This record gives sequence, structure tokens and C-alpha cells, in this order.
Amino acid sequence: MDVTVAEFIRRTVLKVPRSHIPALLQAWGFLPAARLQALDVRPLKEAIAEAVVQLCQENSASIKEAAVLDIVYNHTFQNKRVWTVYQMTKATGGETDIFDFTAFKRKFKRRIQSSLINVTINFKEFEDNAIWIRIAWGTSYTKPNQYKATYVVYHSQTPYAFISKSINRSNLPLLCQALIVASNYGDIREMELRSHCLDSLKDIVFKRYSQTFQTHHPKPLQERNVAPENVDPRLIQEDKSEKERIQRVNQEVFGDGPQPKLEFAQYKLETMFKSSPKMVNVSERESFRCLVKFSSPHLLEALKSLAPAGMADAPLSPLLTCIPHKARNYFKIKERKGVLAAGLVSP
Amino acid sequence: MAEAAAGNPEEGVLSRLEKLEARARALALKQEEAEQQQRQEVARLRARIRQLRRRRDELKGKVSLQQAALGRREEATSSGAEPVPTARVQERALLQWKVETVEAMLRVFYLTGISGKLTERGVCFCLSTAYDGNYLDSYYLDIVITQPVRIHRHSVPIFIPLKRIAAKYLQTDVRCFLATLSAHLNAYVGRKYQADYLQKHFSAFLGGHWQKNSLYNMLAFNYDVTTESSTFPFRVKLLYGDLDRSLPTEASVSCKEDVPASLLEKAATHSSLFMNMALHKAFDTFRKAAETPDNTEGTVPHWAGQETFLTAGMGHLRFSKSQATWMREIGTSEHQAPGLCHGQLYLAPEH
Repeated sequence: MDVTVAEFIRRTVLKVPRSHIPALLQAWGFLPAARLQALDVRPLKEAIAEAVVQLCQENSASIKEAAVLDIVYNHTFQNKRVWTVYQMTKATGGETDIFDFTAFKRKFKRRIQSSLINVTINFKEFEDNAIWIRIAWGTSYTKPNQYKATYVVYHSQTPYAFISKSINRSNLPLLCQALIVASNYGDIREMELRSHCLDSLKDIVFKRYSQTFQTHHPKPLQERNVAPENVDPRLIQEDKSEKERIQRVNQEVFGDGPQPKLEFAQYKLETMFKSSPKMVNVSERESFRCLVKFSSPHLLEALKSLAPAGMADAPLSPLLTCIPHKARNYFKIKERKGVLAAGLVSP
Repeated sequence: MAEAAAGNPEEGVLSRLEKLEARARALALKQEEAEQQQRQEVARLRARIRQLRRRRDELKGKVSLQQAALGRREEATSSGAEPVPTARVQERALLQWKVETVEAMLRVFYLTGISGKLTERGVCFCLSTAYDGNYLDSYYLDIVITQPVRIHRHSVPIFIPLKRIAAKYLQTDVRCFLATLSAHLNAYVGRKYQADYLQKHFSAFLGGHWQKNSLYNMLAFNYDVTTESSTFPFRVKLLYGDLDRSLPTEASVSCKEDVPASLLEKAATHSSLFMNMALHKAFDTFRKAAETPDNTEGTVPHWAGQETFLTAGMGHLRFSKSQATWMREIGTSEHQAPGLCHGQLYLAPEH
């Protein structure tokens, strides 16, 4: 077994929290189950990593297996990376094709390797039909750098790809081209949607997030663990109807279920400064540049709880609530043409 | 005079005393009598008070009873309790009946797979799916009725060619649009159901190398065929060319070349079976055949004929069928559903 491969496996195992090591190695599926059972995970992590490398040596692991281990690691700890959504479009509204994974892999590899020889490309398909692609980039003269790989997650027959943020931005055009060639699309563009939580990004673009739709038939009731409020009968809720209104409006906007997890939303204002006519000193023509960034461990849940907590009026501004619907969390707000009111301008 | 007074002093004093005594007695008697009378009067009045109180309580009870009955009637809008049914009550009963009928119709629409509700700006459609007698996911479409009609929001999976279907039908024929979309969705959940069911319940038969895609219109996997002597791996590849059907348009079963001729024949039978039967049912047949080796494997079970209906008809009533036809089929007479005779789509206004 190659020394670099052994070192790569060792370092990957070292990154994994001890409690996750057995599950991860099992998901990898390379080492025989009997040997994994015998693996002792009590000693120091260095010792475990050494034992795993030993096992890999016995099974003569190659860079291919090591790369798959890396994919499994990144799949398990996908929230460690920042994911950007890319949207692909077809020039003509062609028929939905029958996606063949083998053909996809072949086309993808061929497109990249025709431009760059020193790359390691690996694929792994997961249970939820997600295809994970790992590309370790090299240059014409240097070997691929296994430690700075780019990860792409693609679901067959969807026009979206999720690409991990990486330093190798120079290779991004090549990667995008390979993607559209392999998946039979015509064009690709970066969406203004980024998050650590890959699953939430998928929920947003695949329209799986909680939305409220009006229907006549009642939905099956959901169990809710609401503790019965210990209400003093002498207390009278003065704003009961208002609270109910807020509850209703909030539910219409955000739906019942949990919100997709985003960490930030950014609004870039490029609007004119508006003031009373007396303040003549301010130049009217000067645009008022400003950047507003909302950040939270769970932004949409935070926005959802603003109105019920009494910190904002319900309903919230559509600029804040349109995030999942518009599938973007980076906005540029410009002056509407001819109208003074600020409007949302799509690119 | 003095003598007369003095000569009859005793008589005068005594008689005076007597008179006084008699007067006092009479007075006492009178007083007693008056007291007696007063007592009687008080007792009488007390009794009257008791009586009146009782009467008051009775009346109060009656009033509250009546109010409660009135309240109940308002809730239930029933005219039964009223001895003389007024026009208002009758009207209310009629309205109640109408509401119940409409609600029942809405339930029926939900069961057909396509239902809708008017919103402020358009209609919100609910497309519920079913396969093989199981109700599966529901998908929603919020349509804004402007010129041109556009889809405001939806929860249709991204790989369903919604855009293409919308471009084809949405502006011209909403009914056709919904029927096509519903057929696509039902076929998709049907294909997914078959594949999931197979993986869950027939894992003993299956080898590895599963290949599928998001739309489940291509499925390839290995499965084992056992003969008396040994086990042979077969590989099947199913292509679903019609996206609105849950049966494949192309099924190829391949095996290694060095297998006996009987197995090659079997492979051919299998591929024709896959073409005509839901995947899990085909495997059910294999399993039954394996358990009773006398049976020839190609026997089509009695439900195979229904299968075509179930998959093509989406497992439940098809929308394109005329309303009157299936009203009759489900045992509802036409005049019971006045809102449904002419329109294909019944949209109850928002409350």
C-alpha cells in the first residue's frame, strides 16, 4: 500500500470522533466485518488509527478506497462544510432522460480528465439517491492534493448540484462543465443560496420544506407536546385575539413543520437615501450603500419565533420570509425603476 | 249630693272597680285577639312567601331549560324540538343538509386524487396519490388565476416534469393539466412503492448492484434463481418509458451464457412477467413457484388482469371520467349533488 494512502487514511480516522469510528468504518464497507468487530476503540485515537491502517495494509487499500472513506466521512459530517447550490438549465425543454449512473460517471470523468490528467475522481451513491463525487485536484505537474478535495452532491434527474466551498476555485469552471455534460444540461449558474446544512438546502430547492397550502380536507392531526398552561382563573388575557392573529399569520407564512436550517441571510442595499426636503445637504443622487446581515444558528426558526415573542410585527417583511420560496439567502435590494419604493431585484 | 255620694260610697267604688275590671278584661281579650290575628296573618304571609319562592324557582328552572334547549337547537339547527317548525328553522335545516352534502362531496374529491380550494387569488389544488390500495403522499399546487395562469407555489418533486406539463396544458386546459400531472405523480409513487417494497420484503431473493434514479424510471438489480442443483444470478433491467405509467416499457433479464437452456427460457418468461405485472407481485409469483415446484413459473395469477386497471387507473377513480358516471358508480344520485352536474371541478368558496 502506498505511503501517502496510508497517511491519508490515518489522518481521516484521526478526524473522526471516537464514538463514530465503528459506524463510519462499517459504512465504508471496505474492511471485513469480522475484523471490524475485533477492533478495539478504547485506546488512544492514534492507536486506533494505526490499527485501521494496519488492517487496510492487509487488504491492500488503494487511493480509491481511501477516497471512498473520505466521502463517507464527509457524508457523515456534511455540516462541517459550506455548500453552494448550482442550478442547471436545459436549452430546450427536452424529454426527461433515463439516468444511467454508469454513463454519468464515464462522461464526468472523461470531461475532467481530458483537461487535467492529475485528478482523483471518485463516486459513491447513497441510500437517498444522492450521488457524491469527490475530486482531488492536481496540476499538470503535481499530483492531486487529497487533503483539499472538492465534493459535489447530485441527485439524478434534478437540475441542482451542491458543491462544497473549496480553495480550488480555478477548477470550478471545469467541474461545472463536467457536471452539465454528464447530466445532459445546457448551462449552469451559481445560486445565491449557501448553508452548512446540506439537507436543508436540498429541502429548499426540492420543495420539501414545510409550506402551508389551503385545503378543505383536514390534515391528520399532529401530536404536539404542549404542556397545559397553568392559568389563574382571575387572569384575563387582554390580547388574546391579537395573539391568535399572530399565531395564524405566522403559521400561514412558515407552515407547521420545522424550518430548513440556514445560518445567515445577507441583504445588500443599493437604494437612494430618502429624507425630508429640508435636509438639502444630502445629495439626492448618491445611493445609500449598506449591507445587512442576519445570522443565527438557525435563522428561519429564529425569524419564525420573532412575532410570537412580540419582537416584531406579524407578518414579517416578505424580504425575510421569501428565503425558502425564492431559494436564496443573498439579496441585492435596488430602487425599483421609476418607483421610489425599494424592490427586490432578481438577477 | 255629698250624702248620696257618701251614702253609697261602697257601691260606687266597688261598681267602679268592677266596671274597670271588666273593661280591662275586655281590653286584654281584645288585645289577645289582635295578637292572635297578627300571628295568623304573619304565618299566612310566610306561607305565601314560601309558595311564591317555590314558584319563582320553578319558573327560573323552566327559563334556563328553555334557554339551553334553544342553544342546542341553534347549534344543531334541528327543528325536532320545536312543536311548530318555523320557516327559519326549516331553512336552517336545509342549509345544514347542504353543508353536509358539500363536505361529503369534498371528501369524495379528496379520495379521487384531485381536489381544490379557492383562495384569494386563485386555486390551491391538492393531488393525492395512491398505489395498490394504499394512500401515499399528497402534493400541492397553488395556482394564481391571472392572465396568463401561473403556478405560485407547489410541492411537486423537482424531477417531475412540471414545467413541461404546465407549458403544454396550463393555459389552455386546466383539467388536462391536472389529470396529466396526477398521472405522472401516481406513476412515480407507484414505481417507488414497488421498488421500496421489493427491497424491504424480498431482500432474500435479491443480489446487490441496485441501480435506480430519482424518478424511478430505470431500475436494475440482480436476483437469484434457484434450481434443484444450484443458484444462478439473473440481472434485470427495467425501463419505464411512459412516465405516467408504473409498469415498464422495456424489461430485459440477462444471465450468464453458460446456464442450461431451461434457465434461458425462464429468463424470457420472467421478462414478460415484469412487463405485465407489478414488481413485487412478480416476485411473489416467483416465490410461490419456488415453494411449489410443480407450478410452472409463468402462470399469471388471477389478479393480473386487474393490475392493468389498478396502475392505469391510478388505483382509484380517474379524474377524466365524467362526473355523472362515477357519481352513479359510487351510488350517489345526481340530484343529491347539485353543484356537480355540469362542472367537472367543484370548488367550494373559501369560508
